[in-house]
This record gives sequence, structure tokens and C-alpha cells, in this order.
Amino acid sequence: MGFIKIFTKAKCPKCPAAKEIGKELKKEGVSVLNYDLDTIDGLAEASFYSIRSTPSIVIEDEEEREVISWRGIVPTLQEVKQHLFPLTSSLSPSPGRGEG
Amino acid sequence: MIEIKGFLETSFSDWRGKICSVLFLPRCNFRCPYCHNHSLVFHPEQYATFSLEDILARLRSLRDWIDGVCLTGGEPTLHADLPLLVRKIKRHGFSVKLDTNGSNPAMLEELIEGGETDFISMDVKAPLEPFRYSRSTGLPVNLKPILDSIEILKKGKVEYEFRMTVVPGLHGEEDIRTLGGRLRVGQRFILQNFNPENPLDPSLRNIFPYDPKALKKIEKEVQEMM
Amino acid sequence: MASVIEMKGNQQELFKHEIETTDMALFVRTSDEAMLGWDRQRIVDALMRETYVDFDTAKEVAREVEDLIATSKIKMITSPLIRELVDTKLVERGLEQARKMHTRLGMPLYDVDQLILHPNKENANVPHGPEATNLTLAERIKKEYALLTVFSQEIADAHMRGDIHLHDLGFIDRPYCSGQSLEYIKRFGLSLPNSIAMAKPAKHPEVLLAHMVKFAAALQSHFAGAIGWDSINLFFAPYLVGMSDQEMEQLAQMMIFEFSQQAVARGGQAIFTDLNLYWEIPKHFENVPAIGPGGEFTGKTYSDYLEESQRFAKALFDVYQEGDGSGRPFFFPKPLVHITEKFFQTPGHTDFLYHICDVASEKGNTYFVFDRGETAKISECCRLSFKLDQTDLEDAKHPWKMRYCALQNVTLNLPRIAYLAKGDDAKLFSKTAEFIEMAVKAHLEKKLFIEKLLSLGEKGPLALLAMERDGSPYLRMGRASFLVGMVGLNELVQIHTGQEMHQSKQAFKFGLKVIAHMKLLVDRFSQRYGMRFVLEQTPAESTAYRFAKLDLKFHSPKSGHIVKGDISKGEVYYTNSTYLNNSAVLNPIERVRQEGLFHPLIEAGALTHIWLGEARPSKSSLANFVVKTFQLTQNDQIAFSPEFTACNRCHRTSRGLRSSCAYCGAEDVEGITRITGYFTKLSSWNKGKLGELRDRYRNQAFFAQKNEGMAVEAG
Repeated sequence: MGFIKIFTKAKCPKCPAAKEIGKELKKEGVSVLNYDLDTIDGLAEASFYSIRSTPSIVIEDEEEREVISWRGIVPTLQEVKQHLFPLTSSLSPSPGRGEG
Repeated sequence: MIEIKGFLETSFSDWRGKICSVLFLPRCNFRCPYCHNHSLVFHPEQYATFSLEDILARLRSLRDWIDGVCLTGGEPTLHADLPLLVRKIKRHGFSVKLDTNGSNPAMLEELIEGGETDFISMDVKAPLEPFRYSRSTGLPVNLKPILDSIEILKKGKVEYEFRMTVVPGLHGEEDIRTLGGRLRVGQRFILQNFNPENPLDPSLRNIFPYDPKALKKIEKEVQEMM
Repeated sequence: MASVIEMKGNQQELFKHEIETTDMALFVRTSDEAMLGWDRQRIVDALMRETYVDFDTAKEVAREVEDLIATSKIKMITSPLIRELVDTKLVERGLEQARKMHTRLGMPLYDVDQLILHPNKENANVPHGPEATNLTLAERIKKEYALLTVFSQEIADAHMRGDIHLHDLGFIDRPYCSGQSLEYIKRFGLSLPNSIAMAKPAKHPEVLLAHMVKFAAALQSHFAGAIGWDSINLFFAPYLVGMSDQEMEQLAQMMIFEFSQQAVARGGQAIFTDLNLYWEIPKHFENVPAIGPGGEFTGKTYSDYLEESQRFAKALFDVYQEGDGSGRPFFFPKPLVHITEKFFQTPGHTDFLYHICDVASEKGNTYFVFDRGETAKISECCRLSFKLDQTDLEDAKHPWKMRYCALQNVTLNLPRIAYLAKGDDAKLFSKTAEFIEMAVKAHLEKKLFIEKLLSLGEKGPLALLAMERDGSPYLRMGRASFLVGMVGLNELVQIHTGQEMHQSKQAFKFGLKVIAHMKLLVDRFSQRYGMRFVLEQTPAESTAYRFAKLDLKFHSPKSGHIVKGDISKGEVYYTNSTYLNNSAVLNPIERVRQEGLFHPLIEAGALTHIWLGEARPSKSSLANFVVKTFQLTQNDQIAFSPEFTACNRCHRTSRGLRSSCAYCGAEDVEGITRITGYFTKLSSWNKGKLGELRDRYRNQAFFAQKNEGMAVEAG
């Protein structure tokens, strides 16, 4: 299992929903990293993943390779889980890279 | 397994229209005086060998960009296990282009029949006469396999092209026309200008290449021969 | 001002009977080519006029200087020497400020001699000749003037130390660079302040071109750097209706030759011109009423001129493909083709893309500018571009209003920050903020100065920029950008983390952090001052060399291990802006992708170079690469740079950099390739850039030599 990165900004309407997903997953023991694009670390990390809109969610494997990302859109918790625990849930077609 | 001696991750000039990686394979059965890869041909042991695993891993990380892999040398068809290498690369989802001098028609046939290669580029060294060919390749050459290879490619079961490196002194304008008239493959006949930098025969360093504009003109002319 | 003059007059009256000049048989050579008898009063007058010293002190200084000269038994003296002697007396009295105000600007005889005899290497675009020497002399004095009076001592010192670099100080009385709309001259004709004749709007394409060229020359003398022209093929289009292919080609040829041969203009320097070209009708011009011959609206919109616009773009590239009379690439004007979503929806784009890629492969001219999503951009300088915001798009309905400028460029010496931080993260970030603050202060100071000049209106020195033909001044200060550039991010990261950016992911990410920090800072300053501070990739043709030299002086021995190039030859440099090491064996894909990750943070424009060396790639492979760069990366702009050798004997041009001509063997040859954002002859390059040239990785095949770990590259 990899980990999940959530990119948000202070003033962005859909960001609270993305943060909520992060909170839920944290409760289930997933390592969640939150990045605020108004901070240096947040903006640098977002640049590294070419994140151009918030909120965005990126799932990575153990070697920090991107498995999937949702850019500028908020997936359902269920969708995120499918990709975080691919072996335990049924395989579904990947939703692509979003409209980053 | 074939030793891979050189690896160019990205090339814009080895496969028209494609972004490809190039693998350099050692040794050659010709001694073209204008060859500029000659240290690879004569002294492959000087170079470290790239592991195919590393190369494939690298290709995987570039897979959105790289359309195919070009195998060149030296002369790739000297290696009996070339088809194996081709298959391994194909299995990873990359198209394969092969550069050859046409001296191993049997292997070309095998690769084509197996549907293993996507493009074959054959160097034609001179008008198809034994004496002229030997002069251009630096040693006595049996023309039979060369002619066979040409016929195999012309069947069109795989995409192909014929390339001729034009060296003033070795090839006159008439020679190009003769060869073009013999091949009659239209735009599949490509001329390359000679590069006097570091040729196998040092005396060629003082040969000045053809004016590119003049060469383009002849190329256009021979490409109209169908 | 008036009161000062009056006062001076009164005082002179007052002092007259006090004068008791020693009767010296001494002549003074003055700066106005006159020889005058010695008069001590002149010293007093100058001190009273130029400085704040009181009358008694002035008199005392004058007398001391007179004594000094008298005892030296000199027969002939120059006024500069007198001034120096007066200055030493001011220094002796601790009158530091007065001395500064009394300073004489100028150059030593030796320097002028050198300058007249040897070429200028700070800007490779300036040829060597009498005009060029004039330019350099003027620049030297204006530079000193700028550092003494326009900028505060703090900023001037920071520049001298090399913490920051204030660009184009020799052009202190002009803005930096600008973006133009042809619509302005189409609509208003060519009517420049101070010019003798006023031309009405052009009726014919050749005349329009003549107006454009004249106007460009006028603008060049009001800006320090590049002049960019937006959508030039489209704006010419209404004049091209019904033109034959041959006429079209002729016009394209005229345009390119006119701009490439403008070497008779300022200082013999070709106008740094950018032509922005579009295959499609840019979205923001689709429904805009077109202006045609005579400055009249044609009754159609620009959408109706797609065919002419495309034919003209094609014709321009036909000319680029041919090259100049001896087959060399044109150095100017630079063609920038905008690749947008709409480009790919416009019929014929594949053929056009092949055409411009063919030129890129053959001659290297083409710049590919990527405008992804909804952004529209105008590019002007080496890579400076403006993203059009909502108000700009509103302006697009009246395209003649679309004139933009950057007032100044200030570059930070990033490696310097790392030397000072000594490995401490917090210190590194606070020092960066400090440097940016200096840049902002420098901008405020220059803005104040330019505003002073502009306030004199059409009677002032910047009359052209103050003229109001459409209800607002030509230079729209409210839309000006203030550029904050950077040099040597790679070396900053290397000093601070021990690794260069291409060597590890950690190092690379650290580089991103520094630029993210800078970006957030300039945004904050923009808010605070209501000005547009933006990051830019400084072309740094000479700054990368200057910073490296200064750091070798101030931060040795550490800097000795950091600067790139060859120290023994003095060919040292820092890696430009946010670029990765020039010599790193990185394939073009990685370079375009990785360097591109910085580009969204660098709002005023960024560029990745792909050095081709001798290779002549296939046009369709390059097109393939361009499309993928658009789709798969955030990269802003790319250019492919081949190298050439032009022969001065047979006048033919061959590929690659050679010591002799490939065709005739002559050794009288000239190397040509891109220095930063433009092509030029190697003989004009400064040492730093020559060092970089040697290091450039040209995508050669890679062979690793056994056992020794030595890299051997083959063409």
C-alpha cells in the first residue's frame, strides 16, 4: 500500500471535501500528507506533480511513483479506496488523469 | 546474449516521424572507409556493456514519449540471437527498427516472417557491382546476399528504406542515378551526406562533402524513379 | 530650480569684490573645448551650484586647490583634474555627500582606447564599430549616473557586490522591453513626436511594413531590450487579400531582411525583434473588427482573414528555411509560433507543424510557445512573455491598446545566497527574502525615475512613450511588469545540499522549494504595492559570467568547486536561471519535462533549449516531440539549437562547429549558434558563455568506457 497526497488552498470551494476524505483515510491508518499551495512546501510539491488546480489528490506507491491522481475534482471516498487497496476491492477501470 | 555497447535514450533522427531510443551493437563484417562508428566495430571491449534490464526499465519510464527502439551498430544481424533481443523489446510494447547492411538475408527473412520488426533500413553502399561495392565496403563482398536482401525488403511485408551515404571520390552523381534506377523505390531511397569527422580511413578527412543543396536535388530526382 | 539659479546670481554679485585670485599664468582646458585663464571663482561657483557646502568652505577649498596647483608649477591643467583635486579636499573634510554630488562621470583614457580598438563582449548583439563605441561610452556614463543617483546606495552597493544584478543600467532612462500591436500604426499611421513628417495610415502592405520598421527603430531607442509584435501574420492579413504567392513571398522576405539588417540603428545593434505567429485565429481576436488599408475597418472580423494569415505565416517560414544570402540562419527577427488547443483544431496544422519543424531542424529559428488551456500570451524578450488577464482580453477588442512593457529586470545571485546561508535552511530562505526585497526596492526606485521622465510629457525625453493618440499614454504604466530574475539555482542547490538538481530527486525538489518561495514572495509584494512583480528566467548572457567571477573573488575557496566552466581559462559561469546542468547527460525528454516543472512558477516566461549540435533531425520526429511536449509537460517554450560554421571564403554554411570549412577547407570560418535566446557568432561571445558552449550536452549517443568510468560520446 502506498500513500496519499492532498493538495488544497485556503480559498477554494471544493477543498474541504478533499480534506474530509483525507481525514477519513487517516482514521483507517492510511498515511495522508496534506499540502497547502499557499505555503512553500505545498507549492513546491504541487509543482513537482504539475498540480495546476485545487483540490487535487495523488496516490503514490512505496517508491513515490504516481499511481493515480484526481486534479481539480473530488473523487468519492469509495473511488480512492479502490485504488489504495486494489487487491481487496474489485478492479475497476481507471478514471484517467482528470483534467489537470 | 548480445552485448549492448551504446544507448541513446532519445533520437529524432534515426526513425522518421518517431521519437526512438537507439541501441548500439558491436562488430561489423564490412570495413567502409567512411565509417565513423569504427571504434565500436573494432574495439567493443573498450566499452562497458549496458544491461538490457536497465535499458528496459529506462524505456518504461519514458513510455509516453518513446515510440520505438532502433537497433544499429556495427552490424546487428551478425549476432545470432538478434531475434531474441528484438522479441524482448517488442514484448515491452515498443516498435523496433533495424539498421542493416543487408549481408544476412536469412535473418531479415526470419524477422520479417515472424512479424518482429516494424521497420528495416538497409544501407546500400554503392552501385550494385562487385568492384564498386568492394571499394565502398573496404573488403571483397559477395553481392548475392545483398541482392537477396533488397528483394526481400521490396516485397513490402515490412516498412523499409534504402540509405546511401554519398562520399565524393567514391560515388559520383551518375552512381546515385544508376543505383536509384536499379532500386526504383521512390521516396524509400534516401541519400545521406558524408561526414568527414573521424572516418575509419583518415585520408578521407580531407574530402569535402557534397553541397547539401545539390545532394537534395539529386535525391529528389532519384526519388521520382518508381 | 529657478530659485537656485537666482540665488547663484545674487551670490555672485555679492562675492565679486571679495575675489583676489592669485595672478597665475595658467590655462585651463575646459570640457566645452575652450581654454580659459585660471579663475578660482569657478571652483566656488561649481561647489555652490552642485553641492550643499557653504560659501566659506567653498572658498577655502578653492584656495587650497589653487595653492596646490601653484606649488606644482603646472602650466596647463584640465577641468577634470581640478575637479578631482577639489574632491580630495572635500574628502579630507569628511564631506562625503558633497563629494558624491560633485563627482565627474567619465572614463580613463586607457579604457576609451581599449574600447575603440576592441569589441564589446557584454552583449553579443552589438557589432564593433564607431556607432557601437558611442553606445558603449554613453552606456558607461549612464550606468555610473544610475548607480550614483537613480538608485539608493544600498541598492547600488548590492549591485556592485553582485548580490543582485540591475540589468541595462546604461539604459537607465528607458523601460526594459515591450510588446507591441501592429494595430496601433495601422490605425494612427506613423506620427511620432519630434519627427518632421507625419504619415497617414498605410494603404499598401509594403508601406505598412515600412511604418512597422520605422516604428520599431523609434521604439528601440526608447527601450533597452526586445520589441515583440503580437499576431503579426494575422494583423497583416487584411492588407494581403488577393496577393499572389510570389508577392507574398516577396513581402515576407522584405520583412525578415529589414529586421535582420537593421544593424544601422542604435549602436549598430540589430533590433531585437520577436514576431509572434499563429496558425489559427487566436480566440480573443475572432470577433474583433479588422483594420485594413488606410486604417479603415474593413467591415469584416479577423476570422475572415484566416487564409491570408496562414499564407503569410507559411511564406515567412519559407524565407527562414532558405536562410540569408550565404545560407546562414537569420539572427533576427525571431519567429515564435504559439501552439494552443485551437492550433490542433485548425485544418492544415500538421503540414504547418512539419514546415516549422523543418526550419527548426535545418536552421533552428522556430520557437515553440505553448499556451495550454485558456491562457493567451504575448512573448517579447528572449523568453519574456505576458499572460493576458481579463482586462487584457477586454483590451483585445481594441487591439491597438495591447501594448505592454516590463520596466526593469533585476536578477538575484542565487549561489551567493547559499554561500551566505552556510547550510542553514532557515537562513537560506530568509536571505532569499532579503534579496527579493532588494530587487523590489530597486524596482520602486527605477519606477520613480521613469515616472519623473514621463511626467514631462511630449516635451520630455520619453516623448514617444508619453504620446496620447488613443486617449491614454503610449506606455501604460499600470500594465507594466517588474521582473525578478534568477541565476544559478542549480549551484544554489549544489552548495546547500551537496548535489546538483539532476543528481537526485531531493535536490531537484529543493530547487522547486526555492522557486516556490520566490514566487510566493513576489506575489505578496505585488499585493502590497499594487504592482506586477513577476519571476522571469533571466537570459543572463553576461550575468551568469559576472556572478561567477565575483563569487570566485568573495567566496573562495568554496566557489572554486562550484562555478562551472574552466577556471584556468577564466571561462567560468553559473547555470542560467532554473536550468539543469548544461553538461548533464539528460535526454531532451527529461530536460523538457523536468525544467518544465519550474515554468508555471515563472510567470513572465521560461524556455528550454535543446542543443542539437550537428544532428539534423527528421522534421516529423521533431513535430512528434513538440506535440508530446504540449500534451505531457508544463513546459512553456522550447527551441532547438543547431550549430553552424559559416565560411568567409566560399560563403557556404555547414553543420556543426568546425575549425575549417567543410566544403572548401578554408580556416577563415565563423561559428554560429544560440547564445541565450538568439543566434549569433561565437567570436562575439564572452568567456563565460564560451565555457558553457564547451559543456553543452548535445544529445550524443552515450558510451561508457570500461573500468575508468569515463564517458565517451559519439556524434
